[in-house]
Amino acid sequence: MKTLFIAIMTTSMLLTSTHALANNVTFIIDDIKSDQGKVYVQLFQGEKNYQANNAYLSSIAIAKKGQITITFNNLEDNDYGIRYFHDENDNSAMETNLFGMPIEGYGYSNSAKANYGPVEYQAIKFQVADAAVTNRSTINY
Amino acid sequence: MQRRQLLKNIAGASTCIGASSLLMSVPFAVNAKIVNKNQIDPLANIKTSFADALKDNPSLLGLKNTANNFAHQQLTIEGKLPKDLTGVFYRNGPAKYEQGNQRYSHQFEGDGMINSFTFANGNIVHQGKFVETTKFVQEQQQNKFLYSGPLSDIKNSRKVTQADTVNTANINVIPVDDEIWALWESGSATALDATTLATKRRVNLGANSQYGDKLKGLAFSAHPKIEANGDIWNFGLSLSGHVALYQLSSKGLMKNVGIINARYRGKMLHDFLITHKHILLILPSLTSQADRSHSNLKLFASIEYDSKQPMRVLVIDKQTLTLKKQYELDAGFAFHFGNAWEENDGTIHFDASINDNFKVMDELSEIMSGTAKNLDQNSPHTALFTLKPNGGTTKVVVDGDSEFPRVYDHLVGQRNKTLYTLSHTQSQFWRDTVCCLNMDSGKKDTFIYGDEFIAEEHIIISNTAKEGDGYLLGTALHIPSKRTCLNIFSANNLKGGPICRAWLPYHLPLGLHGNFKAS
Repeated sequence: MKTLFIAIMTTSMLLTSTHALANNVTFIIDDIKSDQGKVYVQLFQGEKNYQANNAYLSSIAIAKKGQITITFNNLEDNDYGIRYFHDENDNSAMETNLFGMPIEGYGYSNSAKANYGPVEYQAIKFQVADAAVTNRSTINY
Repeated sequence: MQRRQLLKNIAGASTCIGASSLLMSVPFAVNAKIVNKNQIDPLANIKTSFADALKDNPSLLGLKNTANNFAHQQLTIEGKLPKDLTGVFYRNGPAKYEQGNQRYSHQFEGDGMINSFTFANGNIVHQGKFVETTKFVQEQQQNKFLYSGPLSDIKNSRKVTQADTVNTANINVIPVDDEIWALWESGSATALDATTLATKRRVNLGANSQYGDKLKGLAFSAHPKIEANGDIWNFGLSLSGHVALYQLSSKGLMKNVGIINARYRGKMLHDFLITHKHILLILPSLTSQADRSHSNLKLFASIEYDSKQPMRVLVIDKQTLTLKKQYELDAGFAFHFGNAWEENDGTIHFDASINDNFKVMDELSEIMSGTAKNLDQNSPHTALFTLKPNGGTTKVVVDGDSEFPRVYDHLVGQRNKTLYTLSHTQSQFWRDTVCCLNMDSGKKDTFIYGDEFIAEEHIIISNTAKEGDGYLLGTALHIPSKRTCLNIFSANNLKGGPICRAWLPYHLPLGLHGNFKAS
C-alpha cells in the first residue's frame, strides 16, 4: 500500500493536454475527524486497473477536520473510481488490525460502503466525458 | 452433507456481508407456517405469528420482546439467604427482538441486556439494562431495525462496514478489573460500569499495551477462560478461518497475541478450552459455502453440518501460541465445553455438550415465530474425550442430555471431578433440570424444577478452592405466575432443592450466560 501511495502529487496534469479541459473531477471528502496526518487518494481508470491496484493518478492532501477537496484535471474520457484513506499517524501506510481490517479512516467515490472487504468497482465508478464532475464521499472510521 | 433446509428457506435474496463470524448477511425469514407469497414483510409476519402463538403457549413468555430497561427491584426471598454469598451475579442475553412491526427471525439476533442481581445486606436487588451498542442506540432512536442480522433481512439495510457495526453484545458477561465486559463473539467486547450497568466503551484489546490499535475490532469470543491466577484467555474467529488467541491480565491488559491458520470453514466457533499448558480449539463439523459474497445466503443459512467431516482439535502451546498437535474426532457439533485438563504424560481430558447435527440453529429460528413445538429432540449430551500423546483418542458418552456445562472457577484448566449442566426431564419445551455429574463415579445429583419452569444457566460460587463447597446459583422462569426466580442450591446437594429462592414480581427475558463477582 505504501508504495502505491507514494506518489505523484498530481492535481495539475501535464500529460494529457490533448483532452478537453472540462474533464475535471472535484472530489469532496466529508467527516474527516482530525487535522492529523494526511489523506491519500487514488484515482483508478477502469475496473481492471482497480483490481490490479494500478492507479491512474494519486494525490496526497493535508488532513483537515471536516471536509477536504481534491481535484483531478484533464482526464481522458472514461469511467473512473476513487479510494482513499486518512493516514492519521502519518506513516504513509493504511493501518490494519491483525485480521487485515482497516483501523484508519477510509472511503470510496460515490460514498460507496465496504461490506467486509473491498468495495466492487461497479459501486464506485463514475463517468467522465466532456464535463466537469463533482463526486462526494463520507469517510468511514 | 446435511442441509439445514429451514434456514435456507428462511432466506431470500439480498445484500451480502462477509467477515467476522456471527454476524452478517441475512435472508428473508419465512417458515412453512408463515409463508406469504404476497409482498408482506416476512419479519412482520414473524411478529404476528409469535404474538398469536404466545396466546396458546405461555412457555414462549421468555422470548417476548423486552421494550425497556428494568429499574432496581428488591426480590422477595423464600428460605435462608446464605450470609457468605455477597457480590453481584451478572447475566447477559438477547432481549430486544422487535422494532416497529418487525421481529427478528433468530434468537441470537436480539440486542443484549445485562441483568444484575446484587447480594448485599441480606437482600437481593435486580436491575436490567440494555447494552448501548452503536447499533442499539441508532435503532432505538429511529424505532426500527437499520441493519440486517445474520438471518433476518432488513430492507435497505445500512451497510456493515465492520463487524462491530452490528455488534449486539448479547452472549456473556465477565467481570474485568472494576468493570464488566459484555461479550459477543464476532467483534469487540463492550465495557460497562459494574454498578450502574451504563455502557462505557467498545474495548480496544490492545489499549495500553505493545499492540496499540492492531487488535481494534478483532473478534473476541463470548467464552473466555479465566485461570486461577486471573489471566484471561480467549480466541476470536475470522471468517478467513484464522483464529486469534489472546492472553490478558486480570485487569484486561493484553499480554500476548497469536494467530493460527485453523483452515476452518465453519464460520461459527463459540467456545474453546485450556489446560494448564495448552489451548484447545475444538472445530466442529461445520462448513459453509466458499464465498458468500457471491451468494444470497445469509450467514446462519450458509453454515452446514457435514457428518463426513471429523471434528478437529488443535492443541496450541500457551507460552508460544503455536500449534503443537492435531487430533481428529467423530463428526459432531458443540456450542459449549465444560473443562479440560492434562496429565503429566500429556494425556488431555475434556468434556463437551455435543450433538450429531446442527438443528438447534433451526429451532432457535422457529421459536422466534412461536412455531417450535418441542426443543428437546435435538438436545446435546455430555461426551468425555481423551486425547493420548500417541495420537489415539477415546470418547465416552454420558446418558441423558446436557447443556450449559460449568465447573468450579479455581479448576479451569485443572482436573475437575464435578460437572454441572442443565437438562430436560419433564419439560418438552426447554430445560427444567440441574445436574451435577461426578466424573469419577458417574453418579448424578439432580434437581428437577418441573415443566412449570424454564431453567437457565446455573453457575458455581465458592469462597474456597474445594469442589463440593459453595453454591449453585441460577435463574428460572416460572411460567404460570410469569415471574423469574433466582435459586440457590448447596453445590453438594442439588437433590435437596434450593436452600433459597428469590422472586422478582415479573419475568425477565430468557438469557444465555453469566458470572458472579464476589465482594
